[in-house]
Amino acid sequence: MGRLIEEIYVWRLPVRLYHWINAFSIVALVVTGLYIASPVINPPLGEAVWQHNFVMWRYVHYCVAFVFTGNFLYRMYYALLSDDRYAKFGGFRPWSPAWWGKPFREQVESYLFLRQDEPNYVGHNPVAALAHFIFIFCGSTFMILTGMAMYAENRPGSFMDAAFGWVLPLFGSSYNLHYAHHIAAWIFPFYVIVHLYAVFRHDIVDRTSVTSSIITGYKHKVEDEAAA
Amino acid sequence: MPTKQTFAEVFQSRGLSRRDFLKFCSLTSVSLGLAPSLVPKVVHAMETKPRTPVIWLHGLECTCCTESFIRSSHPIVGDMVMNMISLDYDDTLSAAAGHQLEEVRKKIMKEYNGQYILAVEGNVPTKDDGVYCMVGGDSFLNVLKETAAGAAAVIAWGACASFGCVQNADPNPTGAQPIDKIIKDKPIVKVPGCPPIAEVMTGVITHVHTFGKLPELDRMGRPKAFYSTRIHDKCYRRAFYDAGMFVRGFDEESTRKGWCLYKMGCKGPTTYNSCSKIQWNEGTSFPIGSGHPCIGCSEPGFWDKGPFYTRLADVSFLGTDTTADKIGMVAVGAAAAGAAAHAAVTAVKKKQHDKEQEQ
Repeated sequence: MGRLIEEIYVWRLPVRLYHWINAFSIVALVVTGLYIASPVINPPLGEAVWQHNFVMWRYVHYCVAFVFTGNFLYRMYYALLSDDRYAKFGGFRPWSPAWWGKPFREQVESYLFLRQDEPNYVGHNPVAALAHFIFIFCGSTFMILTGMAMYAENRPGSFMDAAFGWVLPLFGSSYNLHYAHHIAAWIFPFYVIVHLYAVFRHDIVDRTSVTSSIITGYKHKVEDEAAA
Repeated sequence: MPTKQTFAEVFQSRGLSRRDFLKFCSLTSVSLGLAPSLVPKVVHAMETKPRTPVIWLHGLECTCCTESFIRSSHPIVGDMVMNMISLDYDDTLSAAAGHQLEEVRKKIMKEYNGQYILAVEGNVPTKDDGVYCMVGGDSFLNVLKETAAGAAAVIAWGACASFGCVQNADPNPTGAQPIDKIIKDKPIVKVPGCPPIAEVMTGVITHVHTFGKLPELDRMGRPKAFYSTRIHDKCYRRAFYDAGMFVRGFDEESTRKGWCLYKMGCKGPTTYNSCSKIQWNEGTSFPIGSGHPCIGCSEPGFWDKGPFYTRLADVSFLGTDTTADKIGMVAVGAAAAGAAAHAAVTAVKKKQHDKEQEQ
């Protein structure tokens, strides 16, 4: 491997913290959520009143859901009000035709093996930005709204009901709301696979240490040995 | 019987004491879930208000709402039909029939224009000018529009009138529509259920009669007093749910022990109704009490959320019946397979690239 020629501080601590809290929350939410939909563990022995087996799964799901929501809001706050240019989504302009132009096309071509070289970005490349917008921003917003609406069903007339109860009629019925939440949850396992593959592949092909960058914050440029 | 008699006068004419009358008023207000301070209001209404004229229409339906209604015990439906309201038109319960009965409807519509309550059971087939439901020589679509024009308020009885029920389940061959899709300019109270609980039906009528307005409604247009919580929230088997003790088959010991029916497809957690609270047939039982999972009959579109005995509905996807989990697993599998294939191509390309560089 060639010499290390550049070290760039890309992911500041708030972004890294967000990433890991988000990652662990999503894993916990998907696991507990699927269990709630289909409780497979054998029933406990003894009287029902002494057991809290199923209620604990729901409790963990709710607790983590609030952590996940708070973390998401914190990330939005950080994007809007910090001066961290790699965290601000500044380059993401899907409403402008120019954004879909050369850089986006080049990146797609590269993923489809239509070009030899790999375009290199310090922050997210345009395709990654779009994927994050669809899966993480839209997906999380959808899951938070539908989840909070279902949580509000537990206490009609409460603050949560006033804040999120309006979501339920949009889906037609409580069952549809549950169903939408359930089916949308599958985007997260789907996304995690694609995300992990893309990160590992970029790390191997571009050698920018993108994998460790989300722990250390630094991306690296390595001199190509052929060029050296 | 003079039509403009008040409820108190009816009591008097039957030789019942004022004490009995007051007792009845307190009982009524309790069954409506009202505060004790509102009892004088109930008494006042019963003493001064003439009985409310009601026209009860039957559309595309099975009459299960009427069957439920006539089994009400608090208040007894006889009291209600004879005394509290003046049920002037109801093709199932009326003694008169044919043209004679249709004339009564026209008369009430004229005499009490803007004052009568229109109760609708069943929904409205809209396809082909509504020929799929003809009442008295005219389509139910026309009858409903004509009768609703002069109504003070509309009560939509049952899942049919409220949300559509089996008639507008997929593929809805007659174009059946619930009442609120047809009548847009009147206050509508939805009393869903297939059928609704008898005491809920009489409770709604008593409320309208007592206060002269519809009860407080939730976001879906249902009376809050009866539909604000789910069956699950007040289910007596809730302890088994919280404990994770689920029935897994109807031939298991757990069924006999009365464990939670969640895994048997019980729709209690997503169904807003009072079954677990008021129960049926004078509080005898309700479906879960009898060991059967709730099918969610008071929820919109419950026929299309089948099968009744699984948690997750079948949805049609690319022409086959599948579930959310199957779709999700296929998507995740496809992502993994796609990533593996992409990795393989990357490796091959890299090898080619390296070879070219060597040459």
